[in-house]
Amino acid sequence: MIFRSIRWRLQIWHGLMMVGVLIGFGVTAYQLERATRMHQVDQELEVRQKNLRQSLREGSREGPPDGPPGRRGDTPPPRHELHLPPHLSRYFSKENSPAYYGVIWTRDGQESGRSDTAPPDVPPPDGVRPEAGTITRTRGTVREAYSATPPGEVVLAGRSIAPELAALRGFALGLLAVGGGVLGIGLAGGWFLVSRVIRPIHAISDTAGRIAAGNLSERIRTEEADSELGRLAAVLNGTFARLDDAFAQQRQFTADASHELRTPVSVILSQTQATLARPRSPEEYRATLEACQRSAQRMRRLITSLLELARLDAGQDPMDRQKFDLSKMVADALELVGPLGEERSVRWTTDLSAAPCTGDAEKITQVVTNLLTNAIHHNRDQGEVRVTVRAEEGGAVLIVADTGVGIAEADLPHVFRRFFRADKARSHGDGRTGLGLAICQAIVDAHQGRLSVTSRPGAGSTFTLRLPAA
Amino acid sequence: MRILLVEDETDLLSSLALALREERYAVDTAADGEEGLYKAMNWSYDAIVLDVMLPQLDGWTVLARLRKAKKTPVLMLTARDTGRDRVRGLDTGADDYLVKPFDLDELLARLRALIRRSAGHATNGLQIGEVLIDTAARTVSRAGKHVELTAREYALVEFLAVHRGEVVTRTTLYEHLFDEDDSTLSNLLDVHVSNVRKKLGHDFIATRRGHGYQVGGPDGGIP
Repeated sequence: MIFRSIRWRLQIWHGLMMVGVLIGFGVTAYQLERATRMHQVDQELEVRQKNLRQSLREGSREGPPDGPPGRRGDTPPPRHELHLPPHLSRYFSKENSPAYYGVIWTRDGQESGRSDTAPPDVPPPDGVRPEAGTITRTRGTVREAYSATPPGEVVLAGRSIAPELAALRGFALGLLAVGGGVLGIGLAGGWFLVSRVIRPIHAISDTAGRIAAGNLSERIRTEEADSELGRLAAVLNGTFARLDDAFAQQRQFTADASHELRTPVSVILSQTQATLARPRSPEEYRATLEACQRSAQRMRRLITSLLELARLDAGQDPMDRQKFDLSKMVADALELVGPLGEERSVRWTTDLSAAPCTGDAEKITQVVTNLLTNAIHHNRDQGEVRVTVRAEEGGAVLIVADTGVGIAEADLPHVFRRFFRADKARSHGDGRTGLGLAICQAIVDAHQGRLSVTSRPGAGSTFTLRLPAA
Repeated sequence: MRILLVEDETDLLSSLALALREERYAVDTAADGEEGLYKAMNWSYDAIVLDVMLPQLDGWTVLARLRKAKKTPVLMLTARDTGRDRVRGLDTGADDYLVKPFDLDELLARLRALIRRSAGHATNGLQIGEVLIDTAARTVSRAGKHVELTAREYALVEFLAVHRGEVVTRTTLYEHLFDEDDSTLSNLLDVHVSNVRKKLGHDFIATRRGHGYQVGGPDGGIP
């Protein structure tokens, strides 16, 4: 199993490649060395062999210098020592190391002469033709060069190549030793390099493991941000940050939702338990039941809103898209919401011009109504709400500006967050769930529209809704 | 025993106040943090029930500011059931912590324990001579026989018994036995003391002239 790790796979590949390269290199170097040495030997042998041929020519012209003439032509021609001219005989002297030898055969394969350095069992080469030139052969530890003279005699010069073979063996051993050393160093270097590459990967996977195990706030340390691994770590960190954020939001949402549900439940529990502790008058029972009803209604509002958000989140609510005029819809909504403003003497100022757009009319009405209600709710008494609808390039825009307390700059980015209330001093009993704007945002998002807010604390807030024309 | 209830949820506040009053506590209420802090600083309560989520000042702030001046036992109410909140509450100086929704019985039991602990007692029973006070059942018996007391009389007996051996001033008694809505005339306290003496024996409550009353003292009341 361990060999499936990247470290081992890299190491094995690296090792195999190095062995391959070293073997290739070693074999080539050995062959070259051997060829060079053999070439040298061959050249020397060729010279000796030519000397022999020359002496033969001279001999046939002059006869063997020492041989009795009467014996020429005796049958069978006795094996006799080569008689070489003194300037040649030193080439075949026993004193030479390595000692060269020469052998001559007659046309019909009878040995006709040999140097005293020649080994006893030199086989005559077969089928040598004069035009073939000089041929070399290796027999065991000797190397021989031979050729045929035009009359058909075969002249051979040879010598032991034991010193060369020994040197080649030494060379091969040297290659082996150096190769082994290089392989060892290479493998160690490879191990080191792989370790350096692997270490940050291990660090990343360890950290990622811890993060996956639950510690979402941890991050991978990136030392070399520009390296490939640095970029990978940055990408992972970005992903973890988004996950962390999403989880935090989810946790916050769950905590908020349970908080909002706990309060009405605690009202019902304490109201009923306090009332049931002893017999009460009908009026007291009635008051308790009314309190319970208020709490139940509050829970119903909350649950409805939560379900709506969940459906919007899941994209389950199919948007019933149709073309409508935003100014007409706002006018209708104002008729419904208008009286709310009168209760607090809030003045409506409207500037509505035709603004065609596309969307789910029912859902957009919900958004519009929410924005208008908010504008009254967060307004001051005798305040003003300016409502503007107009067409603009690509769609319709609704602007609702109030003259209320406004929203602190620090709170602005969170206004559309679920359960966010800029007004911490809110009363629980006001029937607001803290989800209204979050739902609006989700609806507008589903329409590819835009809902934004600007505010001047103390002077009022302005909500702007943009919807696409198609 | 006088208790301050700080809770912005009207329906919860009313039912808690009702239940506490029926448990013979004197109950003051506050609907936001500022009012709650003001009352907590200006009266000495036997315990404070404090909601965390409050308008004006949240419960944490109220608690932190109160702790700079007073050691009144505080029971925090919160709708957040997270360990971090508990730790924070206890670290800030809350004496106990209750997560909404809770059972009234549990709230009452914890309050009793809180008051008992702050007075240095470990159990619900207070024995003074032959008088036994059960602060859980809110009953008093003398020599094994049940004695019927009115709510005020019981509150007087319990407060003096909890602070046994101490001289309790009339002002303290007024502060702890009657809530802000009581339009009690001062001489009514004497009426209650006299009634208790009739029921539990004249020596049960000793008068320290110019100082106040004492129960179970070294040389006063019943030894």
